[in-house]
Formats: sequence, structure tokens, C-alpha cells
Amino acid sequence: MRATVGLILLAVIGVGVGISLLAIPFGAPKTEIGDYYIENAREDTGATNVVTSVVVGYRAFDTLGEVTVLFVAALGLGAVLATAGGKRGRSGVEPASLILSAGNIFLFPLILLFGAYIFTHGHLTPGGGFQGGAVIASAFLLVYLSSPGKRINESGATLTESVSGLVFVAIGLLGLTYGTHYFLANFLPKGTLNTLFSAGIIPVIYCAIGLKVGSELAGVVDNLMEETE
Amino acid sequence: MVSPVLLLAVPLGLALCVPLVGKVSRRAAGFVPVIATLLNLVLSIRLLPTVLEEPIVANLGGFPPPFAITLFAGPVGMLLSALIALAGLVVSLYALSYIKTGPTVRYHTLYMLLLVGATGVVLTGDVFNLFVFFEILCISSYALVAYVGDRAGIEASVKYLIQGALGSALLLIGIGLLYGLFGTLNMADIAARMGSADPVPVFVAMALIVVGLGVEAAIFPLNAWLPDAHSSAPSSISAILSGIAIQVGLYAVVRMVFTVFGASSMLLFFVFMGLLTLLIGELCAFAQSNIKRMLAYSSIGQIGLIIFAVAIATTDSVTGGLFQMVSHTLGKALLFLAVGYMVYRSGSMEISSLEGMGRRMPLTSFAFTIGAFSLVGLPPFVGFPSKLLIVRSALVGQEVLLQVLIGLVLLATVVEGAYFFRVIQAVYFKKGEGQEARQDAPPMALFSMFVFVVLIVVIGVYPNLITDVLESGASELLERANYIGSVLG
Repeated sequence: MRATVGLILLAVIGVGVGISLLAIPFGAPKTEIGDYYIENAREDTGATNVVTSVVVGYRAFDTLGEVTVLFVAALGLGAVLATAGGKRGRSGVEPASLILSAGNIFLFPLILLFGAYIFTHGHLTPGGGFQGGAVIASAFLLVYLSSPGKRINESGATLTESVSGLVFVAIGLLGLTYGTHYFLANFLPKGTLNTLFSAGIIPVIYCAIGLKVGSELAGVVDNLMEETE
Repeated sequence: MVSPVLLLAVPLGLALCVPLVGKVSRRAAGFVPVIATLLNLVLSIRLLPTVLEEPIVANLGGFPPPFAITLFAGPVGMLLSALIALAGLVVSLYALSYIKTGPTVRYHTLYMLLLVGATGVVLTGDVFNLFVFFEILCISSYALVAYVGDRAGIEASVKYLIQGALGSALLLIGIGLLYGLFGTLNMADIAARMGSADPVPVFVAMALIVVGLGVEAAIFPLNAWLPDAHSSAPSSISAILSGIAIQVGLYAVVRMVFTVFGASSMLLFFVFMGLLTLLIGELCAFAQSNIKRMLAYSSIGQIGLIIFAVAIATTDSVTGGLFQMVSHTLGKALLFLAVGYMVYRSGSMEISSLEGMGRRMPLTSFAFTIGAFSLVGLPPFVGFPSKLLIVRSALVGQEVLLQVLIGLVLLATVVEGAYFFRVIQAVYFKKGEGQEARQDAPPMALFSMFVFVVLIVVIGVYPNLITDVLESGASELLERANYIGSVLG
């Protein structure tokens, strides 16, 4: 009975969404707003990567919200695990093989460097703060796998998380006081197109996001590692 | 002019400071939410007279409306942001003495982010931005429901998480469809283009969005998570979830249906859904023996009443609906705060264990009684003018259908009265076992309860204090063209 009702409901939703999708002309160059972004993004924001100019320029406020969503999720996970289990050490875990631990020594700094490269060049090349942050967190995951005894410096992670978040908010508030007086307005000089030091506040925000996402995801890995025994 | 974005940016910045403050002193971390909500309350009240004349539209990033995110601070947004800040302030004062154990620093951070999410939802003028703030609100509530860390809390939180995540997914699909259809995310821009669109996809998008938001707004039959979540959360969080979170979800539904979709043909459906939610909520509340579950079901009932009033869609009825939101926030938050310490002292959530509380905790019991009287709608408390306005607005049109339905609403109020008086009878007129030693709630908790008590009485006696705001809020919701005009210029 429940399965039948479920199937019927699913069919209704499927047909409805299907009909609606037919009404949307995919791939057609149609929206005013999309055209506007492609035409004006470089001039407006100074970023060569149009995706970045939308994410950290036109819709930077959404990105501030998204960063907060990740912050809330990481924090919530920490709170739930802390109340449900309490802190436990990771004793009795077998040490990793020589290949893994030796490889880690070489790879860890390289991965960090690569992550930093991705978020510092977010306004020029594909990628950005979120992607760079995820790469950085993967370096910490590798450390956990190769040397089970090591732990992330919790105070350091909290500090990075909070300070980089505060930098994002502070840049927004500075935009409100300087220049055009809009929250998150690009008040820094936009520089020459296609160079590292261009696009005003965008690379600064992306660096803050990269560090924040990196430390948050590393914290999530750390929290979950405690529980897997 | 002060930008309404400060209502979001400043508390968000302070929320990020809480972990840093917590490193220095765990106790000091609890005061950060107090400061942030106080600032928001002052700022909201300062902006109210301005937005009554003309809504403030803030274009973030300095780009013109459809290309960037817009904040829309009208009377409704400011009223609700003031209400969120007020309830947030009082509950954070209460939490100073109530939240003692567990990861308190994380509690205060999550609590502040919950309020930031709620404020963002009521201020934004962009559908995707709405989704982002909605997620902040929901995810922080999932975590806070599980804060106590017992089995019931974790189970309730997981239930809430699954249903909420499903709702969010539907909401996102609906927003995606809207973007596909209109190529824009700005609410006013979508509303302006709504007339020229094919009705079937628009209906599908509306159905997905209403169902998605309806989970958080606890519209029947999407509210299965609510009684568990609101009863297992710490009482300070129950107060915020019942008083703020579901109403913010409801605001989002109303904003989408009234302003974005302008779906006047759907309103009768919402009148019936509201009535159904009201009746089911109140009848289930009557059947409960657990006090916090009873209050949770009563919240469902109240939400139903608000939906019913708003969906009648006359100036008076929407004013009544908004008024009911205010009176529900004040009344229900007060009840949860009072019950928090009653349950703490008696060690059980059963109504029978509250017997004799009138002697053991006289002031807390008194606060509980005021909250209950106000929710039932007795004069001279705030619930009376709000319910009276709803009833009057339904009768004034001389429509037979509404007159019949309002009879059912009054019946639900009688049921509401019955279960609240049962609790009051247990508190005052039955003798508890053993300990009669007087041991009231701590001074800070009592102070926060009495802030609500004073407001309930003052607004109940002088409803004119807020009716201006409520009326212009109602016309903001009913007059789409003005909304579109003030954003797009």
C-alpha cells in the first residue's frame, strides 16, 4: 500500500518535472542576465574567469552564505559528535605502510602548494576557494592515513576558520564604507586584466575562502577519524 | 541611511568571533549572542519608521537589481527581523543560566547562526539567496536539536534532518525550474515576468517550492518531524524553533505564493490546509501527556491558524495573521522557557509530574499561566486582539463558507483552552508528592520570562503600538505591483 502510494506520487512528480523541463530551452543563448555577465563581467569585476566574477562578484553575498552553510555543517557535526561520544584517542590503529608514509612526506607540501595555487588563481583559471580548500583538506586526510597518531592542531584550525571568515565579512563591510558604499562592493583597484594582482577584492576573498574551507574540511575529517574505531 | 545588510553581516561576524572568545573564556562566549541580538533589535526598531514610509532596497555588491542580490527591507521584513532579534535576545539571556553542560561554545555559535539564517530569509529579495539562508537556518537547527546528546535527541534530529533535507532538495529543484523558465533569480523580476509564462511549469515549480518550504513551516502533512524535534531539543532551542524557525518558514511560503507567484487562485486551498493543520495540531496536543510534545503540537495548531488567516487575503485578515505571528512568538517562547525549568526541577516531562509546581516555583508557574492564557486568546493578553482580528476579518465579508470555517477555528480554540487549563489545574490545584520546598528558576531565567510577560500584557492592552506596522505589512504582502516597482524602479 505505502509502496503503491509512493510510486504514484513519484510518477506524478516525475511527469510534472518532465513537462516543466520541456518548457525550458536548454543550451539556447537566451537569458538577459547570462548575456549581461558574459558581456560586462571583465569590465565590472576585473576577473578573467567569468564564473568567478559571478560567484565572488555579482553574487558574492550568496558565497558568504555558502561558506556559512559549510561552517554550520562542520560545527554541527562537531557538536553532535562531542555530545554523543566524547573525545577518544585513536589507539590500536595499525601503522601505515612505508610507501604511504614516505610518499606522504613528499606529497603533503606539494598538495598544499597546489591547493594554494588553485585558490590564489581563482580569478584567472578554473577553480577557486572551495576547490582549493578541498585540495588542502585532502592533504590532511593523507596525513591521517599515513600516520594515525598525528592530530590536527585544533586551536590552529579554529583560529584559521574564524579569522578567514571574519576577513570575508570585514571586506564586505569595508565595501559599505569605502568607494561606492555597497556591501561587498569591489573597492580595491582592479589592476590589469589577466594578471595575478587584479580583480580587486576577489582574490582576497578567495584566499580567505580557501583557508576557511581547507581548515573546516580538515576539521570534519579529524572529527570523523576519532569515531572510526 | 543605515543599510539593512548590517542586520546580517554584524551578527555573522560576531558568530565567527564566538569560537575565538570561547578560547579565552567559555563563559564570555554566551554573552556574544546577547550583544548581537541587542544590536539587531535596536537597528531593526530604528529602521522601522523609515521602512513604513518606503521600503529600503539594498543592492549588494553595487550592481543593479536583476544582476546582483537584493535585500528587501519592507515592513514585514523589519517586523520579523525585530521579532527574531527580540526573541533571540531574551532566549540568549535565558541560555546564560540554562545551558551549562556540553559543548557550550558550539551551542552559542550555532544559535547565532540560526538567527542569522532566519533574519536572512525574511530580508532577502532573491530566491537563491533565500535558499542559502534557509539552509543556514535548517542545518543549525538539526545540530541544536541533538544538543542534549541523548537517544531521543539524536533520533529526533536524524528524523528532522532527513525530512528537512528532502524539503530543501525539492525547494532547490523548484528554484532551478524558476531560473530555467525566467532566467533570473530576483523575486521582483520573476514576479514581473510571471504573467507571460506557461502555467503548467510555473505550477510545478510552485508546488515543489511550497512543499519544500512547507516542511520547515510545519504545514500538515509535512510536519511529522516537529513534535519529536521540538520536544527533545533543549528548551531554549525549542523556544526559538517554535517561536521563530517555523514562522520564518511560513513567511517564506507566504512571500513566494503572494509576491513571487501571485497565485490568488490557490488561496482557497491554503485556507483549507491552514484549517486542517490547525484542527489536527490542536486535537493531537489535547491527547498528549508530555508537556513539551503538547506545546509542540500546539505550535502546529497556531501555524495552521496563521495560514488560515493569511490565505483569506484581505487587509484585515493578513494583519491578523501577522499579529498572530507576533503573539505566537511571545506566548510560545515564554511557555517553552517556563517549562524548561519546570521539567528541569521535576525531572520529567509528564504533565502529572508538574503537580504542585504552583507552590514550588510560583513565579515560573505564573509566567507559564500568562503564556497559556495569551495563546488561548484571553483578554487582556496579546493573543486576544490577534485572534479577535482574525475572527472579525473572516466574518466581515459575509461569506457563508468562511463563517462556517471560523466556527471550526473557534472550536479549535476551545480545545486549546481545554488542554492548557488541564496543565494549569495540575500546576496550581493538585498537590505534588513530597518536596514542597520553594525553588524557583534562577534570576536570569526569571528575568527573561518576565520580559515576555510584560510584552504580552503591554501589547495586549495597547495593540495600537504595533498595528501600524502590521497593516503596512499586510499591504506589502497583498500589493505585488508595489513590491515589483520598488525593487526594479
